[in-house]
Amino acid sequence: MSTPNGTSMSGATSLVKSLEAAGVDVMFGIPGGAILPAYDPIFDSSIRHILVRHEQGAGHAATGYAQVSGRAGVCIATSGPGATNLVTPLADAAMDSVPLVAITGQVPSAAIGTDAFQEADIRGITMPFTKHNYLVTDPADIPRVIAEAFHIATSGRPGPVLVDVAKDALQKETVFNWPTSVSLKGYQPTIAPNAQSISDAAALITQSHRPVFYVGGGIIKANAAKELREIAELLGAPVVTTLMALGSFPHSHPLHMGMPGMHGSVAAVTALQKSDLLITLGARFDDRVTGKLSTFAVNAKVIHCDVDPAEIGKNRFADVPVIGDLKHTLIALIPALKAALAKNRPDLSTWIRQVNNLKSTYPLGYDKPSDGSVSPQYVIERIAKLSAPDSIYVAGVGQHQMWAAQFVPYELPRTWLNSGGLGTMGYSVPAAMGAKVAAPDTTVWSIDGDGCFQMTNQELVTCALNNIPIKVAIINNESLGMVRQWQTLFYEGRYSNTNLESKRVPDFPKLADAMGCVGLSCDRPEDVDKTIEKALAINDQPVVVDFRVHRDAMVWPMVAAGTSNDDIMIAREMAPDWDSQEL
Amino acid sequence: MSKHTLEVLVENSPGVLARVSGLFARRAYNIDALKVGPTENPAISKMEIDVNVEGHALEQVISQLDKLVNVISIKEILPTNVKPAPTDTQPDYQN
Repeated sequence: MSTPNGTSMSGATSLVKSLEAAGVDVMFGIPGGAILPAYDPIFDSSIRHILVRHEQGAGHAATGYAQVSGRAGVCIATSGPGATNLVTPLADAAMDSVPLVAITGQVPSAAIGTDAFQEADIRGITMPFTKHNYLVTDPADIPRVIAEAFHIATSGRPGPVLVDVAKDALQKETVFNWPTSVSLKGYQPTIAPNAQSISDAAALITQSHRPVFYVGGGIIKANAAKELREIAELLGAPVVTTLMALGSFPHSHPLHMGMPGMHGSVAAVTALQKSDLLITLGARFDDRVTGKLSTFAVNAKVIHCDVDPAEIGKNRFADVPVIGDLKHTLIALIPALKAALAKNRPDLSTWIRQVNNLKSTYPLGYDKPSDGSVSPQYVIERIAKLSAPDSIYVAGVGQHQMWAAQFVPYELPRTWLNSGGLGTMGYSVPAAMGAKVAAPDTTVWSIDGDGCFQMTNQELVTCALNNIPIKVAIINNESLGMVRQWQTLFYEGRYSNTNLESKRVPDFPKLADAMGCVGLSCDRPEDVDKTIEKALAINDQPVVVDFRVHRDAMVWPMVAAGTSNDDIMIAREMAPDWDSQEL
Repeated sequence: MSKHTLEVLVENSPGVLARVSGLFARRAYNIDALKVGPTENPAISKMEIDVNVEGHALEQVISQLDKLVNVISIKEILPTNVKPAPTDTQPDYQN
């Protein structure tokens, strides 16, 4: 039921009515002094408010919700420490282009600038990593600002928007006026691509003999997985999906070469390196994908399709830039390419044979630990095998994240969530909570590390109390595993401060139990399947499984930081046998 | 490196100078000189920014600046045309 314009109410009620008018159905937050006036109308609102245990949890939960639903995630916190606790999730959402609206209370406008109790300049703090932010001191501005915030967060290249509202603006009387449209002079994202750039792109593709679709997270943001598959099959060229794009193209598809980058497959990394044309769709030439930039795909021309003009030429020159929403871009490019291919279809058979050779010669794999302990990759492989095909996986950051990217065969968009750009340890549990709220009937696995889990596990209490039955697989190698891997490789095995001793303390199943979850444990390979099945059978409570795995497992392949993709290693001191490859 | 002058029209809202200067700082672009002043429209301010960058980096500066929601328009003032065009020739910020 919408509130008629012209109704008198407090600024706080106007804020909540505005959120309702913006279509919000759930938000994650914690009240406090400055935001307290808003919590009174929240009590009566149709919006489901989930009371989290830490504001960082609210922010990542909103992100998880947004990544699964495609809608803006909403989090709310008070001034000062409540607001600063949102800093990490906002930075995380900015790096991964997640539509987020964060509402924070601020001290009364007369106290701003006086170092008042719980005052922090959150607008100043978050300027570098919000798409835009606001400080509202006049209650009459609230509906317009909220409407703008959602418009900015969800359009163009999505991103986080923060709205800081002074306490007196919440308390004062105002008149509610929800705007019929949003008009911002300085913000007009390009949606439809330029026709000339589409025909230039089509023409360049027909001249290429070694094209690759280099697909980034933008394809999922644009909901363009169907169009991606259509154009990939139309051209018959290999596809690589970055860490942020997993699931946008079916893993099982014969044209899929896997994930490129620091821990990408040999086929994906090499396909990019040896390509003569990168058809770049919503990707940003991140250093984790390119390796040493000056040696990245040196013979390739670049078609760069992105909704953000500032990505064009940021890291790599684009021969043909195509600015616009990717769905619109692909819908225009497919017929243009069809027409161009009808006149001149390049022979890609040699190229396809070469990349397929790499794919079959260098599949992802791992060694079983010689001491009979559980291998972490095996646990993740079995979880994927035993869970429903539409299950959602949410990783933390580190070795377990890379294994979850490598060993779960993602077939659908929005089934893989992780902190790609910022690399936020602690992302998994709260983001999985948000994912489960967005998809309550879908199995949601948090694949977490023992280090990450200890940063944000308090949100399991929130999950237990609010009927959000996520499943957490702790890949417990009692270490900050990725850092330890680097210490093994680059610091002569000097393990400075990476030993977490998490097989000794804490007792994860007991901790889970104390937080209202079911706690399970597994430390033998033969128990892995039945433990996963047990976890899958529990759907009325969150489940935490402590998978106690081999400590020395490493993530391979690897392109060491700052080196060239040409120097990819498939195991320690072991490069692919390039002489046996026809490239 | 070469010197360029950008004329940037911005919304006259609190914090807009911090947004622009913060962008230059965090993306490691150097500002040689910065001048901010009013326009005929009290809702709009004009910045003149002297930057010292390569040609390709200039495009990046402009595209990154253009992402700021409070930035309305950006144009490069060429050395032969140091006098900025009068504001009434810019229809997109008249009201």
